[in-house]
Amino acid sequence: MDKPAAAPAVWQLRLPYLSLVLFLATIAALVWLTRSYDEENQRTTLISDVLWMEQNMRFHLDRNAAQLAQIGPELLAEGERQPSTDASLRQLLRAESGLARIIWLNAEGRIQGAVPPLSDAHLIGESRGSVPSDSMFRLGRAIGRPVYGPAYEVAGGDYHFEVHVPLYAEGAFTGAAVGVYSLQSLVVRELPWWFSERYRVAVEDADGREIAAKSKVGPLSSAHEYRMAFDPPGHGLSMHITAYRGETRWIPVLLIASLVLLSGIIVWSVWQLRRQLARRQAAEQALLKESAFRQAMEDSLLTGLRARDLNGRITYVNPAFCRMVGYTAAELVGRTPPMPYWDPEHAERTQELHEMIMAGGTPLEGIEVRLRRKDGQRLDALVFEAPLIDSQGAHSGWMGSVLDITEQKRAQELARQQEERLQATSRLITMGEMASTLAHELNQPLAAIASYNSGCINRLESGREIDRAELREVHARLGRQAQRAGEIIRRVHDFVRRSEPKRIPVDINAIIRDAVELIEADARKRRMRVSTELAARLPEIDADPVMIEQIIVNLVRNGMDAMRDNPPARRTVHILTRQEDDLLVVRVADLGCGIPPDTARRLFEPFFTTKQEGMGMGLNICRSIAELHRGRLGFEPNPEGGTIFILSLPVEPA
Amino acid sequence: MNQACAHIIDDDEAIRDALEWQFRTRGVACTLWPGAEAFLAAWQAEWQGCIVLDIRMGGMSGLECFDALLARDCRMPVIFITGHGDVPMAVGALKKGAFDFIEKPFSDNELITVVEKALAADAERQRAAADRETVEARLATVTAREREVMALILEGKFNKVIADDLNISMRTVEAHRAKIFDKMGVRSAVELAQMLTGIRY
Repeated sequence: MDKPAAAPAVWQLRLPYLSLVLFLATIAALVWLTRSYDEENQRTTLISDVLWMEQNMRFHLDRNAAQLAQIGPELLAEGERQPSTDASLRQLLRAESGLARIIWLNAEGRIQGAVPPLSDAHLIGESRGSVPSDSMFRLGRAIGRPVYGPAYEVAGGDYHFEVHVPLYAEGAFTGAAVGVYSLQSLVVRELPWWFSERYRVAVEDADGREIAAKSKVGPLSSAHEYRMAFDPPGHGLSMHITAYRGETRWIPVLLIASLVLLSGIIVWSVWQLRRQLARRQAAEQALLKESAFRQAMEDSLLTGLRARDLNGRITYVNPAFCRMVGYTAAELVGRTPPMPYWDPEHAERTQELHEMIMAGGTPLEGIEVRLRRKDGQRLDALVFEAPLIDSQGAHSGWMGSVLDITEQKRAQELARQQEERLQATSRLITMGEMASTLAHELNQPLAAIASYNSGCINRLESGREIDRAELREVHARLGRQAQRAGEIIRRVHDFVRRSEPKRIPVDINAIIRDAVELIEADARKRRMRVSTELAARLPEIDADPVMIEQIIVNLVRNGMDAMRDNPPARRTVHILTRQEDDLLVVRVADLGCGIPPDTARRLFEPFFTTKQEGMGMGLNICRSIAELHRGRLGFEPNPEGGTIFILSLPVEPA
Repeated sequence: MNQACAHIIDDDEAIRDALEWQFRTRGVACTLWPGAEAFLAAWQAEWQGCIVLDIRMGGMSGLECFDALLARDCRMPVIFITGHGDVPMAVGALKKGAFDFIEKPFSDNELITVVEKALAADAERQRAAADRETVEARLATVTAREREVMALILEGKFNKVIADDLNISMRTVEAHRAKIFDKMGVRSAVELAQMLTGIRY
């Protein structure tokens, strides 16, 4: 039954760890995603910025080319240059346009003019051909579109390249306008400040050499860079854009850091929790084992256990107790007195015991109580009751251990009965021996008398002469034997007379109290009560106290025997003393079954008894004693049922 | 003392005296003994009569005395008397061969009647013993050969058969038979058989 309950607990226990791992993985993924998204974002920005720059550059170059195409014819025109043309030239040659010089050529490719005027300076490194290059002039004339030339080094470390814009007038080729760009100034001037702030822009030639750069400061990392062809002008030039390290973005860092920190805390706390849980589980396991062990002990105990609260309500019973009384625990727990297992015949006494227990426990040796099982069988139990002290030290109820002593009691009772029977038997044997001896003693003279007598008759019948002297002699002997028999009888009488009462003045009440004290233990054992109602100021009488006490004890004992089968309520012997004229009267009343008439007639006969173990001498002796004291012993039926024995003793005038 | 009489053994003098008187009135001879020891000391094997024995006595009890008598092979009948009926004791005594058992006090002449019977029985026993002595004396005169023939006669065989068995002639058998009858003082085989009943030969 435990297994299915325990099985989900295992995966339930694993679940937090699993979710923790998932959580950590999610956090890691999230961090990674954030970072890669950031990266992507930066890259996208870079690309879009680069695209914008390229667009801007191309637009700039195209516009310059367009302007060159526009002013070209004016420059080629004969005569003085118009002021508007000069203005246009100045406009074109301003610093941010990147144009270092404008040259115009006629249809034959001869230089017609240049602003600023041509110098040799810019020819350093220009070894491959003249400036402007003829091949490019021809190319421009051939395709009729602006043509960009390759970059070449000039003095001052700068690099220049040219744009040849073919010029047409009325459909005929008239010449070309050539713009000479300075790479350095193009890159430096053309790019806006915000761009150069974010990126380093460098121009590299076909060999990868850096020939112009916006900033001399090298980038700290090459995390984000972009390389693109620089076309126009083309010819192997490329533009290398590297992003400077961006500003540290604190918020995501903090976010991630706090996430990592929190994850750490969570892992740690889960770990702690787990340890705590393990400790708790171990403790719980130990507790469970302990309690199972205790339960097993209680269950296998043969002594009945019963706990009650201070009101006497049953709070716990163990299986042994249930077996003992035959009720189930469910039927008993929660019950208040009277309990179902109390014997209704002894309910009063059981209630008394219960109250005694509630008032202060039982004596150390326990108390015996008669109970009744559910099936009606009687049960003798020995109960030990002790206060139940709870963990706070408060007295919360009573703990009782109950032993089933029915068998022992039965055995004891049996042993007692056997003992009684044995004693009675031995008394009988003694009496039998006495009677036997007496019979033998008496038989001797009687046998002799019978023989003498037979002889005499024989002689008389023989018809012979009677010898008077002989007959006389025989009769004398016969007489002596008769005397001998009488002597034996007298001896027996003397033996009886030896127990003559020793008379002293006595208080009958004191004797009765002594007698009651004497019989009290026996009465308690037999669950009988002896009550007295003694008249005050009774005169003293001359009597043998031991003998009178013997009468009282005998009468009380007879009364208790008569009430043997009575219910507890009717188990009282009542002793009453009273003075009636010149008689002291002691009445001993029982509530027994009374005396039927045929028994009553023979009641005082010796050897008459109604008890199995009785000798039939008790009442006979009692009456003899009463008569020795010149008193009387009689009886009458008790109006409440049972019999009253009446001992009356004469009060002698002082 | 060799004359048959009742031996009364009782430690109570009055009883002895009363019984002596009673026995005298019936003409039964008796001898009084105050105790078992005295009687046993005086007892002789050839005494005749019977013994009246009180069971309960000071000193040796009646039963002990009886045992002692049995040990001495006394054949006199024993009558027990006792003060009170002790039935198991009486049965035991009777089984051992006591003649009778009488309770005290005796009614009328009950005891004397029993004693008379016992005396008669003892006399009969004496006579039977005497008879046996006579037969044994006669048997002593029969020769060994004659005994062989006698055994076959007692088996009820005819002379012819006896002759065949012993491998002798019929005449010889007849001669032996006549001799045997003569010696034993009988006239027929039946008489011979009656005489020899209970006697080893």
